Amino acid sequence: MPGSTDVGGRASGAHLVRKKRLFFPFFLPAVTLYVVFLVVPTLATVALGFTSWAGAGDTPEFTGFANYVELLSSDAFRYSFLNTLLYIVAGGVGTFLLAFLFTMVLRDMRGGKLIRAILFFPNIVAPVALGMFFSIVLIYRPNRQGLANHLLESVGLDAVKFLQAENVTWVVTGCLIWASSGFYITILMAAVDRIPPYLYEDADIAGATPWQKFRHVTLPLTWDVIGVAGVLWTIGAVKIFELVFVLAGPGTYSPPIRAWTLGVYVFDRSFGTQGTPEYGMACAAAVVMILLVSVLVVLLRRLMRRDTIQF
Amino acid sequence: MSTVDSRVSVAPRKPPRKPKPAPGSRGLSPLRVLGMAFVWLFTAVNLLVLYWLVSAAFKTPIEIFTKPFALPAHWFERGDPFRNFAYAWDNAGFGRAFLVTVVLVAVSSVVIVLVSAPAAYALTRLGARGADGMTNFVAIGMGVPFQTVVIPLFIGMAEVNLTNDLFGMFLVYVALSLPFTVFLLTGFFKSLPDELEEAAALDGASPLRTFRTIMLPLARGGLVTALILNAIGLWNETLLAIVFLNENANFTLARALFAFNSAASYQSEYGGLIAGVAIVVLPMLVLYLLLARRIITGLTLGAGK
Repeated sequence: MPGSTDVGGRASGAHLVRKKRLFFPFFLPAVTLYVVFLVVPTLATVALGFTSWAGAGDTPEFTGFANYVELLSSDAFRYSFLNTLLYIVAGGVGTFLLAFLFTMVLRDMRGGKLIRAILFFPNIVAPVALGMFFSIVLIYRPNRQGLANHLLESVGLDAVKFLQAENVTWVVTGCLIWASSGFYITILMAAVDRIPPYLYEDADIAGATPWQKFRHVTLPLTWDVIGVAGVLWTIGAVKIFELVFVLAGPGTYSPPIRAWTLGVYVFDRSFGTQGTPEYGMACAAAVVMILLVSVLVVLLRRLMRRDTIQF
Repeated sequence: MSTVDSRVSVAPRKPPRKPKPAPGSRGLSPLRVLGMAFVWLFTAVNLLVLYWLVSAAFKTPIEIFTKPFALPAHWFERGDPFRNFAYAWDNAGFGRAFLVTVVLVAVSSVVIVLVSAPAAYALTRLGARGADGMTNFVAIGMGVPFQTVVIPLFIGMAEVNLTNDLFGMFLVYVALSLPFTVFLLTGFFKSLPDELEEAAALDGASPLRTFRTIMLPLARGGLVTALILNAIGLWNETLLAIVFLNENANFTLARALFAFNSAASYQSEYGGLIAGVAIVVLPMLVLYLLLARRIITGLTLGAGK
């Protein structure tokens, strides 16, 4: 059967058949691993979310939506859900505002490439290492302050208990924005670099301010890239775990529930718990994670959809 | 500042209020100066933080907290400048963890690319029907948080005695890295020219041989990028290592660092703690200094296209 990629000529018919024969040996190893280790476990998680199960030694017992009802009335889950949403929304808004600001300034600035490279580096540092690093920088201890409070006190301000349960979520949001901004600045700047310079020159001639150039040139012409970047952000932020675990807690066991995220919730109810694990509840929370990311991604795509601009 | 109305449309030009600045001399509005100052400040803080990390790894806790910007002195005066590193290395079991991580990361990254490259090739170059759908099916895996697979995966692996086992960890790492790698490599294979492949076919080379001797070498840049990005990702991976490895002898560096964190902060061993962080971070810094461009373009590739 001739395919659409038929390259013409006598050799191609038989060749195409041989090419197609290669498809399964090439594709099968990867897709098998993918299905066994990712697709099946995801489905299993969905199924286990409807059961009550304490893990090894116990048999899962079907309980319908009982886990989800219990999640709704659980303080730990409520904190986890709202904090995760906060990281996605507040962290996202912060990161993208910062990235936009940088695109306004960085476009024709000397040393722009160097700046991008420096800001990108935290993105390839292990979140555990980042968390431990921040936990020392943000220590509150009168007379022996961490770097952040040292700086605050040296300009005459009061030291802040950054890592206290009621502050820590905002503090982690800040750390997250700081650490990820380089990635999004790089993505957006790559798109900005593709915009023909004459558009900016025209705007300059018309006397446009940096904000007007951003609003009427940069933003419309990078819109699609911003949409993809938004999806990447959502996917990344929904699973935030190590940074919170290390910064908000004592290290080996879970932080106070006020600081939890969905990732922490799943871990605490299954592998990290001090008492009896609740695998069923953990799976239900994991399902919420995947629902949350799906809903937000679809919503974002809807919101960002528009006709492509040719330039 | 601006005297034009807020809508600057590009097409119909307005007569300029100001003469166009001479090429090279840009008009510096106060807003722009402010923006540039902010950008430089932000960058300077990043560099300062990196300096703080590296210098603190050689300091005593008192030096870290009372003289955060001073150069390390105490351990140098005592003739034992690497004291913190030695402490972390011995107490966190980093010696063995380092070895485990290097081998595990190297083998996993190579196998990931070996499995992903043919798959990506099959999805882009073999003219199979439904290839786009299958590409999407695999790519969706990038959006699945590990937390949603980790519980059944752990149960399943425990059934076959592959938990707390480095071979089991290797399998998990390879499988869970596939979506990103396949997706990345489809991009590279798509960008290769058709002509060489056709020429090889006309010369009678089998499709397998065309792949091995023509297309794979052509995609070398992509394969190396995939290798490096996976190595970075796995070097830093912690959640799965926490779940699947619970014996010190099997710990990876990130896993060992996680365990070391609470022990060392309990003893106020902040110097050792930061040295531990540095042991995990510095190899990445060296890699980054060598390969920054490749790493940055590789990681941001998916979004730009």
